[in-house]
Amino acid sequence: MAEIILDVQNLGKRYGSLVAVDGISFQVYRQEVFGILGPNGAGKTTTLEMIETLREMDSGTAVLNGIDVRKDPQRIKQSIGVQLQSSSFFDKLSLTELLILFGELYGRKADATDLLSAVELQDKAKARVNELSGGQKQRFSIAAALVNDPVVLFLDEPTTGLDPQARRHLWEVIRVIRNDGKTIVLTTHYMEEAEELCDRVAIMDYGKIVAMAPPQELISRLLASGFTKQRAERLATLEDVFLNLTGHSLREEQ
Amino acid sequence: MRLKWVLIIASLKMFFREKEAVFWTLFLPLFMVVLFGFVRFDRLGTIELGFVDLSGGKAPAILSELSAIKTIKIHQGEQDEEWKALQKGERDLVLVIPADYHSGQSLIAYSNDAKPQETQLGGLVLQRVFDEMAMKNLPSEQRILVQTKPVKSRKLTYMDFLLPGILAMSIMQMGVFSVAFVFVDLKKRGVLRRLKVTPIRPNDFVLAHVVTRLVVLLLQVTMLISAGVLFFHLNFVGNVGVLFIVGLLGAIVFLGIGFAIAGVSKSEDQVAPLANLITLPMMLLSGVFFSRANLPGFAHLMTSVFPLTYLADGLRSVAIDGATFQQVWKELAGLGVWSVGSCLLAVKLFRWE
Repeated sequence: MAEIILDVQNLGKRYGSLVAVDGISFQVYRQEVFGILGPNGAGKTTTLEMIETLREMDSGTAVLNGIDVRKDPQRIKQSIGVQLQSSSFFDKLSLTELLILFGELYGRKADATDLLSAVELQDKAKARVNELSGGQKQRFSIAAALVNDPVVLFLDEPTTGLDPQARRHLWEVIRVIRNDGKTIVLTTHYMEEAEELCDRVAIMDYGKIVAMAPPQELISRLLASGFTKQRAERLATLEDVFLNLTGHSLREEQ
Repeated sequence: MRLKWVLIIASLKMFFREKEAVFWTLFLPLFMVVLFGFVRFDRLGTIELGFVDLSGGKAPAILSELSAIKTIKIHQGEQDEEWKALQKGERDLVLVIPADYHSGQSLIAYSNDAKPQETQLGGLVLQRVFDEMAMKNLPSEQRILVQTKPVKSRKLTYMDFLLPGILAMSIMQMGVFSVAFVFVDLKKRGVLRRLKVTPIRPNDFVLAHVVTRLVVLLLQVTMLISAGVLFFHLNFVGNVGVLFIVGLLGAIVFLGIGFAIAGVSKSEDQVAPLANLITLPMMLLSGVFFSRANLPGFAHLMTSVFPLTYLADGLRSVAIDGATFQQVWKELAGLGVWSVGSCLLAVKLFRWE
């Protein structure tokens, strides 16, 4: 079995009487894309934010690359890259200036040109974040999360609110980063996205993990239990029609 | 240390790229100086008469007759106090009843030669009062004569009063508003949260913003004082270094208040009323545009401990009277106490999320 890079045990969080995360455990292996799926309010974001040191854990432990999140949050921050759900940056600095500034926060000299090419934003080096489209903003946000060459990259609903082209473009970027050897933990409520990107997924509901396996295995298990779709599988979806008519990923840049 | 510099430079860049904010921060005070300089609010008032009685109360009649005149406002006091007030331009005339006062003696009212109109008017009014007294009570005796004698005052004008006040006010506005608006915006848009997952030390970030505003303060002070000297005949005799230090201490007080407001506000809509609630009364009552001397007793006492009062008085003493640190110790102490209080409040109330 591959090396465990993130080990989460009995992680719990409650807000008053609401149990947001109900003692969940999971492991993430080096160089995989691990997806946490679930409807809104399932506890995905809270789970990520506890591991990212943004929220206190009420119970349980999380150990990332041998560092206990609770005991040494400062070292965790050095080792992770984070894209928050509603990430925002300073308006008045250019993308290049922002990346260099963020690099400095980690005591590093960031190569802005390199980072921007990694997310295909090299043409926007002098632009401000508020001049970017939604998809470009998300890609920049990933570039900013990569400034410290993190061991694990956390992406919280990276494609929510993006149009199909921009979403596909972002998937490409994420695949390239994974192929470069990064471990990625992402949350999503798009099943298609999980199926496309994730090596393994955990499905969360009401703060609990209700299933965890590679996507194909989950589908096989369901079929083995005798499940059949009420409607026969169509060979194309409306999204396929849309993408076919409007082009795959070229449109977003204009 | 390197990171602190990087953050300060980034913060300065961001501040100065906000063109509109820079414009308002630096030029609005100048507009106000021009505007109020033209209107000359000081002209609309009464005649401020200092009354110094060295005779031990031999002249009650004079006092009561003068008190009956509405255009005259009497300030009774010790000779040197009234003298200073005259030199600062807070009095138009100071009437001295000598120790060996007897009726019929000619009296001397000392005047501020920077205010010829007020002096002339005041002198006429005094003469008239004494003439009437003489007609009523002392028909046979020689009339009392009022001579006005200009003291060697520096010709202080309303501009000398106004400009340091505006300077104090703009330091307050910058401290309270710019910090509160910027941080609430960063908080609302999630920028602070994003920073929180980096190893940044919050204090470094706050420090960068404080330093940025202190740099802006230096610009404000330099610009207003130079504009005052070059275009408005400002009688600047102070030490610029001392002026900066007083301004700096004031800025810290108001930056603390700004951070505290940013801490309790969730959006810009909450910042504005709260910041106005704090700054408006001070703007009107702390002696920025008008001397506090005319405030009624209670209001006078209350406003004397406002941070803006300390700042305006301190800056004014340094700029116009050339006061040293020792001479503005009271203002420095007042600002010191306020800065400790406002910083504690800021630390207690300020939140990253």
